[in-house]
Amino acid sequence: MAAAMLPVVAVASRPLIALQQKNGIRNIDTPTAESACSSSTKFVVKGRRRWRVEEIATCSRNAGRNSSFSASVDVSLTQQQNGRRGLTTVATVTEAPVESEQEKVGDVLLEVRGLCAVVEATGKEILRGVDLTIRQGEVHAIMGKNGSGKSTLSKVLVGHPDYQVTAGTAVYKGENLFDKEPEERSHAGLFLSFQSPVEIPGVSNMDFLRMACNARRASLGVPELGPLEFYGYLSPKLAALNMDPSFLDRNVNEGFSGGEKKRNEILQLAVLEADMAILDEIDSGLDVDALRDVASAVNGLRKSDNAVLMITHYQRLLEYIKPTYVHIMEAGRIIKTGDSSLASLLEAGGYEAIKDLA
Amino acid sequence: MASLLQQSFAGSACLLPRRVKTTPTSVTEDCLVNAVSDKFMSAVTVHSLPLVWFKFVELASFDSVNPVGRLFKANKRQEVSSCGYYSVQVSTVSIHVQRIGGRHGVYAQGASLRDQAEASVSVVTPSTPDLFLLDLASKIEDSVAEGDHSGNDVLARLREEATEATLGCRWPTNKDEAYRFTDLKFLKQANIVPVSSPSETAFDPDSLNLQESEGSRLVFIDGVLSESLSNLENLPEGVIAGSISSIPQEAVRKYVLPRLSSVAERSQKDVFSCLNGVGARDLAVVIVPAGVKVTKPLYVLYYSSSQGSSSAGSTESSYGLSNPRLVVLVGKESQLDMVEDFSGAPESLYWSNSVCEIEIDERGRVGHSYVQEQGRHAVHIRQTYVSQAEASSYKLVEAVFGGRLSRHNLCIQQLGPDTITEMSTFLLAGRNQLHDLHSKLLLDHPRGISRQLHKCIVSDASGHGVFDGNVRVNRFAQQTDAGQLSRNLLLARRATVNVKPNLQIIANDVKCSHGAAISDLEEEQLFYFRARGIDAKTARSALVFSFGAEVLQKLEGAALRKRVENLVKNSLAEEGYINPEVAVTI
Repeated sequence: MAAAMLPVVAVASRPLIALQQKNGIRNIDTPTAESACSSSTKFVVKGRRRWRVEEIATCSRNAGRNSSFSASVDVSLTQQQNGRRGLTTVATVTEAPVESEQEKVGDVLLEVRGLCAVVEATGKEILRGVDLTIRQGEVHAIMGKNGSGKSTLSKVLVGHPDYQVTAGTAVYKGENLFDKEPEERSHAGLFLSFQSPVEIPGVSNMDFLRMACNARRASLGVPELGPLEFYGYLSPKLAALNMDPSFLDRNVNEGFSGGEKKRNEILQLAVLEADMAILDEIDSGLDVDALRDVASAVNGLRKSDNAVLMITHYQRLLEYIKPTYVHIMEAGRIIKTGDSSLASLLEAGGYEAIKDLA
Repeated sequence: MASLLQQSFAGSACLLPRRVKTTPTSVTEDCLVNAVSDKFMSAVTVHSLPLVWFKFVELASFDSVNPVGRLFKANKRQEVSSCGYYSVQVSTVSIHVQRIGGRHGVYAQGASLRDQAEASVSVVTPSTPDLFLLDLASKIEDSVAEGDHSGNDVLARLREEATEATLGCRWPTNKDEAYRFTDLKFLKQANIVPVSSPSETAFDPDSLNLQESEGSRLVFIDGVLSESLSNLENLPEGVIAGSISSIPQEAVRKYVLPRLSSVAERSQKDVFSCLNGVGARDLAVVIVPAGVKVTKPLYVLYYSSSQGSSSAGSTESSYGLSNPRLVVLVGKESQLDMVEDFSGAPESLYWSNSVCEIEIDERGRVGHSYVQEQGRHAVHIRQTYVSQAEASSYKLVEAVFGGRLSRHNLCIQQLGPDTITEMSTFLLAGRNQLHDLHSKLLLDHPRGISRQLHKCIVSDASGHGVFDGNVRVNRFAQQTDAGQLSRNLLLARRATVNVKPNLQIIANDVKCSHGAAISDLEEEQLFYFRARGIDAKTARSALVFSFGAEVLQKLEGAALRKRVENLVKNSLAEEGYINPEVAVTI
C-alpha cells in the first residue's frame, strides 16, 4: 500500500457516511463504540491490490441513536508514515463527537490488515484478507462456521509453520509481527491458547511452565525464578483455576481430559502474563463448572492494558467473558462486526441470519 | 494336492529367492514346499497342524545329513514316501536352508503358502559343524572345569544339557532372520577369553552403584555371585536368594530342579543361551514363596572386570566373556521389584552373556527395571525368559546405553488367563553402537493385556538401532488387548534403525494394535514450546531428552532415575544434541 491517495470507488446502497482522513481517529471497519448501528457499504479500492471492505459499521456512542444520518462519502486510503498502521482509513461521522470518545479507548495493540495466508504444504488459501484492530482493554470474539479460517487466523498470528502469509500486515505493539520468530512473539506478550494442545510425553508440566516463564523473564531482563520461587509464584494461579497441584507433576497435556487441557492453557496464560491473549475455543469440551472456572480465570487476568481475542462457536462463553466486539468470519474474511447482540442473533438464526443481514 | 505336486515338479529347477518372505505366518491349508538344493537342506523347523509337503530333490545327500533327522524328531506325524516326499503337520514353517556352495534354495510353492507362510531362507553348511562355535564352547568348557571345585550337581547338569544343545547350534550370521541387521562378525574375529574365577580385589567396588541399593542386593562379578558384596539381610522372611551352592538343598530340589530341563529346552534354539549354560560358573536363585511381598526392590548388579584387553590401543582385541545366570521364581500372590544393572571396568573389552529366567505364579507381580550401562566397547548379550501364570503381572522397564553391541532377546510366555504384561524400553545408540531388542510375547490364554512401548534414539551416523517386537495371539487367547508402539528418533544423517513390530493373530475376538514411527522431532511439539517463548534449541533439547524420559520415569527408585537421567543428558550432550543445562527432569 504505497501510494498516499488512491482513487476509490464507493458503492453505497444506504445513506452515505462522510468519511475523511483525519489523524488518529479510527478505522473504517472497526467500530469502537459499544452500540453499533450498522450500515453496509461496499468499497472497491483500486490500488496495487484490490480491497473489498464489505461491512462497515460506524456508530455513534453518545446517542444510542439508530437514526440513519445522511452524509457524503470521501474515502481515502493512506499509508501512514509512522509505520504503526499499514493502511488506515479514517471515518468521521458528522454527528458523532468522535474526538471526545477517543480518549476512552486504549492504544492499538494489534492491527491486522488484509491478511492472506495459505497452507504451506498444499497452497490452499485459507485467509483472504482479514482486517482486525484490537486495542488495549478490549475483548473481541470471532465466530464463524467450521472451516471459515478462525483457527488459522490465530495460528498465523503466533507464527505456526504450517501456514504461509501471502499478503497483508500484522502490527503488534508497533512492530511487524511477521518479522518475529514464534518465541519472540511470545516474549512480546502474544499468547495463543491452542484448540487442541499437543501432548508432550516426558516433560513435566512444572518444568515446562518454569522454562516458559523463565524464557519470558529473561527476555524482559528480570532474573529467572528457581524451582521454589517459581512454585510460590505458581500456586495462587493454580488456585484461581481450581487446579490440583498434582497436576504439575504430570506430563504436559499427556492423558489430560479436555477440561484439564484448557485449564492448563489458561494456567500458561496466567504464568506468562501475556498482553494479547488469543483463546481458540477454550469452551469446547468443557463442562459447566470448568467453563466457569476458565472464564473467571480469564476475567481475572484482564487488565486495562491487555486484550483478549476469543474464538468460539457458542454464545455461552460470551455470557461469562463479555466481548466488546463480535466478529463473524466466513471464507477467510471478517464479514460482519457488531456487539454481543450479534452473537444472540447468531444463536437464534444461525449463520443464514447473519448473511441476510450482510 | 496331486496337481499341486505336479506343478511343483514341473518347476523343480526353480530357484529361488534367497529369502522367501511372505507376510503373516500361519499356514492354514495344505500346501507344498519344494526344496531344491545342490547339496542339501537342513534344519527345517516346523510346529504343528495342517499338512505341508516337503519335497527334497537330492535325497541322496539328505540321507547323509543329520539335521533332517531333527525335522522328524520334532514332528510326530510324518511319513516318508518312496519317491522322497516328506509330509509333516505344520502350522508355522520357517525353513533354514543351509548351504556350502553352488546353487541352493528353497521354493515355497502354492499361493496359500506363499501368502501365508513366513519362510525365511538362509544358507549355511550343516555337514561341517560350526567349528568356530565348537571351539568357543570347548574353550568355555575347559575354563569352567578348571575353576569349578564346587561340584554342584545342578550346575553340572545344566552345563551338560547346554553343551549337548550347543552342538546343534551355529553362530548366527546376517542370513538368519533374527540377526539380519545385527552383525556379529567382529565378535567371531576377535579373541574370546572366558574369564577365570574373579578375584574380588580386581575392581573398584565404588563403580558398582552400590549406594542405590538400600534394599537387598545380589552382586555378580564376572558371572559369579560375590558373597561379600551381596547383601540379603533385608529380605522378608521366607525369601530365598543366593547362589545355587549356598541355598538349602531342599529348596533346590523343590523349586530349581523341576524347572531345569524346561529351561534347557527353551534355550535350545538360542546359541547364546546355550553358551551361557556351558559357561555357567554359578546360578543365582531368587525364590519368593507364595504370599510374600518384597517391599524394597532387590538389586542385581552385574560387573565385568578387566580380564579382556584394554579397548585403547591394543592390536588384538580380546573379550573377557562372563556368563551370569539368574533364576527368579515368584510364588502365588507374591510380589517382587527387581532392578538389574549391568556395568563393567571402564576402557576394557568384555562380553557379558547373561540369561535370566523369571517365573511368576498365579496373581504374582513382578516389577523389573533393567539398566545397561556397560563400557562403549563392551558386548552385551542377554536372554530373558518370563512365564506368567493366571492373573499375574510383569512390568519391564529397560534402559540401554552402553556397549558396542547390545542384544536383548526377551521372551514372555503366558501360561494362564488375565495376565498383564508391560514392556517399556529405551535404547540410546551413539557412535559405533548397535542396540538390538528382540521381544516375543506369546499369548495362549484369554483376556491377557499387554502394552509395549519401545523407544530408540540414534544420535550418530554410525549408530544403529534394531527392534523386532513379536506379539503372537493364539487361538485360545480371546479378548486379548495387546498394544505395541515403537518410536524412533534419528538425530543424525545416515543414522539407522530397523524396526519390525509384528502381530500374529489367530484368535478372532481381540483388540490389538501396533505401530512404528521413525522420525525427527515432531514439528507440532516444537512449535508448542516456541509458542510459549522457549527457543528452538532449548525446545529440541527438552524434547530429545523427554523422548526417553517417557520410559525412564517408570524406573524403580529415585536415585536410579536421577543417575540414568544424567547418563542420558551427558551422553546426548557429548554428541552435541542437547544442552545439558536444560531444565527438564525425569
